[in-house]
Amino acid sequence: MKNKLSLKYVGFFLMLAILVLLPFVNDSRTLMILLTQIFIFGILAMSYDILLGYTGIVSFGHAMFFGIGAYTTSVMLKQMDNTLSIFLLSIVVGILIAGFISFLVGLLTLRLKSHFFAMLTLAFSGLFLVVAEKWRSITYGNDGFTFRAPDIFRDRITFYFFVLACLVFIFIALYRFVNSPTGRILIAVRENEQRTKSLGYNTLHYKVIASVVAGTVASLAGALYAISLRFVNTSVMTMDITLDALLMTIIGGVGTLVGPLLGAAVIEYAQHTLSGLARDYPIFERWIIFFGILYILAVIFFPKGIIGSLRMMYWKWRLKLKEKDKTSVAQPQEKERFE
Amino acid sequence: MELFVNLVVNGLATGMLIFLLAAGLTLIFGLMDVLNFAHGGLFVWGAYAGIFTYMFTESFLIGIIGAVVTGALLGLITEKLIITPVYGNHIQQILITLGLMLVLQEMIKVVFGPNGVAVKTPSYLAGSWEIGDVIIIKYRLFIIVVGFVIFGIFQYMLKRTKIGLIVRAGVQDKEMAQALGIHIKRVFLYVFMVGASLAALSGMLMAPYSGVIYAEMGMEYAILGFIVVVIGGMGSFSGSLLAAILVGLAGSFMAYYVPVLSLAVNMILMAIVLIFRPQGLFAMRKERST
Repeated sequence: MKNKLSLKYVGFFLMLAILVLLPFVNDSRTLMILLTQIFIFGILAMSYDILLGYTGIVSFGHAMFFGIGAYTTSVMLKQMDNTLSIFLLSIVVGILIAGFISFLVGLLTLRLKSHFFAMLTLAFSGLFLVVAEKWRSITYGNDGFTFRAPDIFRDRITFYFFVLACLVFIFIALYRFVNSPTGRILIAVRENEQRTKSLGYNTLHYKVIASVVAGTVASLAGALYAISLRFVNTSVMTMDITLDALLMTIIGGVGTLVGPLLGAAVIEYAQHTLSGLARDYPIFERWIIFFGILYILAVIFFPKGIIGSLRMMYWKWRLKLKEKDKTSVAQPQEKERFE
Repeated sequence: MELFVNLVVNGLATGMLIFLLAAGLTLIFGLMDVLNFAHGGLFVWGAYAGIFTYMFTESFLIGIIGAVVTGALLGLITEKLIITPVYGNHIQQILITLGLMLVLQEMIKVVFGPNGVAVKTPSYLAGSWEIGDVIIIKYRLFIIVVGFVIFGIFQYMLKRTKIGLIVRAGVQDKEMAQALGIHIKRVFLYVFMVGASLAALSGMLMAPYSGVIYAEMGMEYAILGFIVVVIGGMGSFSGSLLAAILVGLAGSFMAYYVPVLSLAVNMILMAIVLIFRPQGLFAMRKERST
């Protein structure tokens, strides 16, 4: 057990070291932008997985929180000043707003069954999209507006490191969260809500907590996204963002934190290359079709995603090894279960 | 007065179109316990296939038939390939039908081109009647009539025929219906196909009404369909008619008096209903009427 854990840490630090050293080896603009994008959407997808993978609720309104973060940061930087302190303040404000709204929405909707919850979140995010379109004096509607990022983020590499730091921080924080007693109860809710309830937990509270955590983290991702583009329009509130998060989570692997990150990398990279290919082969302009089909196949055949499937294979392989060893390891376990 | 009549006619016409969309959703949900998020995709496929048939053959009626056939075929494929593997798992159903929605929407752009298509109303339905001061657009009246006729047919089928009996029995208790020798899986398939062709019909009728069709319209109207189903009560056929009319009227009156709220009014309506009466306004969960 200890051996496996340390392996995990080694992998984590190895990956981190590669990502930290990468800009010094190859600092091409495209690569930096692509990686920054992957990190941002990785944060978003991880936050989505708190809902989908850990608590087992499907929300179609995740773009709402992403958009709140993006708009808060952009509006504050545009209206006030483009300094670092304003930026940090705007992140905090965005998180507070997103937290408050996710709390309210969660409290109202999470009592409902999965179908209704999915539809209601869809409707709420539609409502926010309408607000963003109509409140032209602040949001400039669908045209959006550009703004100046804090001077320190002018440099792509500095921003890269900042986003990477955010990613690592969020990853560790969420890792602690899902392994905390609260996180365990969320998993229990996913597995069997009725039973969790009868064990004496007020599942609504825990689902609201999950919704707030996911909402605030998504708002952070939105703020970073706005900075990376230095532009914001209503597209940050659209269904596409939710769909991206959903795809990344499903393809990477639900119920893990590494899965969504991997999914973000796969999808962003594929999007990047496929839209490059589209110049030569027009069929790739419709790359969403490939994703859609891939996604349907994933839901049918690999409902656990890349990471989940790999893990299953690993367990099966270990089981086989054990059987080969001819030790009676399996039997005491069976006994334990019945005792 | 004429303003009022116009707003009512407008609202009723929109309501009827949404009803056709929602009727399929609610039947499928009531019987199969499947929430079909791809319903909007079937809707937009109906619109495109119907309109292209119409433009090709110059006959609106053949266009409608084309739309309904396309809907039924897509329904068949969808049920067999997409829905069957995920019966009983709500989360997977939501996810997979949403994926299908994506694919259907993008396929529209591949098959029919990415740009919107302008649609003309057939000449015998274009124009309007003037009765006193009141101007009534023919096509809107046509939609309202079609909507009520279809509602009548379905109500008759559901309540008075053997097929309707089987479907109602399935809605009430699947296992029991199965025990009585009904091939419930096949009933599922037929109901799904009927629901899909209703969605396609709705799309086809919507096309001349809105004047232009585009790939993204599926999702927009599907949301309205969901709202209606929620307000009317899942699985309730007449409930969805009333709710559709309510949503249509609310939309048309709001668009005139408080245009800012017109897009939001339905969502607010749905949120209120879900919070205070989650089973829907007209829910008859275990329908017992004869």
